[in-house]
Amino acid sequence: MKISERTAGYSLVLPGVFLICALLVYPVLYGVYLSFFSKHSFFPEQKFIGLTNYLYLLQDSDFWMSLWYGTVYSVSTIVLQVALGVAAALILSQTFRGRNFVRGIVLFPYIIPTVVAIILWKWLLNNQFGFINYVLFALGIVGEPVNWMGKDHIMSSLVLISVWEFFPFVVLSVLARLQTIPPVLYEAAKVDGAGQLRRFFHVTLPQLRNVLFVVILLRGIWMFTKFDTVWLLTQGGGAEKYIRTLPVYAYMRTFMYYQAGLGSALAVIMFGVLVAATAVYFNLFRRGDE
Amino acid sequence: MKRANGFFNLGRQKVYWLALLLVLFSAFPFFWMVSTAFKPLREIFVYPPTFLPQNATLENFGRLFEQTRFIAYFKNSIIVSSSAVLLTMIFGAAGAYSLTRFRFKGRDKIANLILFTYMFAPIMIVIPFYVLIKQMGLANTHFALVLAYTALCLPFSLWMLRAFFQGIPLALEEAALIDGASRLQAVLHVIFPLALPGLIATGIFTFILAWNDYIFCRILISSDELKTLPVGIADLYNATVIDWGMIMAGGMLITVPVLIFFMYIQRYLIAGWGAGAIKG
Repeated sequence: MKISERTAGYSLVLPGVFLICALLVYPVLYGVYLSFFSKHSFFPEQKFIGLTNYLYLLQDSDFWMSLWYGTVYSVSTIVLQVALGVAAALILSQTFRGRNFVRGIVLFPYIIPTVVAIILWKWLLNNQFGFINYVLFALGIVGEPVNWMGKDHIMSSLVLISVWEFFPFVVLSVLARLQTIPPVLYEAAKVDGAGQLRRFFHVTLPQLRNVLFVVILLRGIWMFTKFDTVWLLTQGGGAEKYIRTLPVYAYMRTFMYYQAGLGSALAVIMFGVLVAATAVYFNLFRRGDE
Repeated sequence: MKRANGFFNLGRQKVYWLALLLVLFSAFPFFWMVSTAFKPLREIFVYPPTFLPQNATLENFGRLFEQTRFIAYFKNSIIVSSSAVLLTMIFGAAGAYSLTRFRFKGRDKIANLILFTYMFAPIMIVIPFYVLIKQMGLANTHFALVLAYTALCLPFSLWMLRAFFQGIPLALEEAALIDGASRLQAVLHVIFPLALPGLIATGIFTFILAWNDYIFCRILISSDELKTLPVGIADLYNATVIDWGMIMAGGMLITVPVLIFFMYIQRYLIAGWGAGAIKG
């Protein structure tokens, strides 16, 4: 018996496609559907209410605050992790003894569970017994312990932790690309009398352009929808509302106020903002091409 | 120093200093966690802090095993993560093989659809996913978690395995077929051994993602004895008096399996493979 190529092809790929559709695509569409309902998170009753959830959110100052905090959080973490990641990748592309070891170490923060990243930094930033405050105090930089989890500093702490946790992704992507830049280009630039700085701006940076485009896009999507890092940091602080980003607010509405419809509407808005931001980003990039 | 493939020639000394700074920034927090995990209670809060434990002790680990369900959490994490890896690998390998070896209508469309779903963020999936799982009566089961992790990992695994399979020349398989091997034999004896490193690497990525996940376990699991490690550890922190020594010990133990696997996949990561597989 000979099975046709088509049948064989479909029968091998369709089970996986079915799983993806049933467990990812369907829930996302169902979420859009739920956003038009008033629905308790635990009980089956639901009532169609049209756009009421969306209209409510438009007047909800907590929603606007979360959009603002989410934007501040994603923009600042992206700028910092890209700057730090590119710098680190440039250092790690130099030849020196122990380079592979250092490359391995630098990736650590990215592969550990987020929970570990959070407890590590909560301990380092602890206001009474934390190592950071000890160093700052011992060096005379601060006169009294800084309350890193308090309302004035919690956003900075969150940004610091997130940059630490996610900059290795930028290092990885940029380093992989740096290794493929033909050395001939640098030699040609050198012959033309270009100094180090000019070589960076006229050879390295243009070569990195495409990889940076993708890295910023992915990191943007991931930082804007980041839940666990932000949520875990809010636990047991008291200043949680100063880092309540959109994903955290959607979670709270769904699992603390049990408003699954409103939570879904928030998720839909988050997706809409992402799509709009991505479109603008693509346009800017294309315009830059001309 | 001979110039590397860079635009700049820093002196050898400067490069070492900068590399040292990078290592400190990346690794010092881990060092501090391990150091704290072995300190006796009194030394943890001493001022000024000691770098290395003066009287190293295992009492933090003892409390972790005796006073919490750490061992149960560990077992749950192993069960859930391994099941997710197994399912992902079966569906992923079959799908990737089909996408690289058979010609059929819509093949590229399917590949693109898969890549698109990879962009869905967990927070967008988890709310409706929870409602659906609840309606099916599967809330608070490991099965629900396995389903969630399989679905989350499948798109990426498919893409990664597809790239691995594309790297294996078709001619090898054709030669085996001409020599009279059946398709299955050709796959088992020719493709499988060549794809094995890729399969292992993809499996490890899946494992780490499932092992590290917090949000799905937080939402889908409500009974304490079914929790996985990340949620279990996070809840230790919510106790009224925070036992830093015990939390650091727990944080250290949950990181160990990840680090072991990491040694294996490091070369794939540095070559630019799978950078986005582990975390968003």
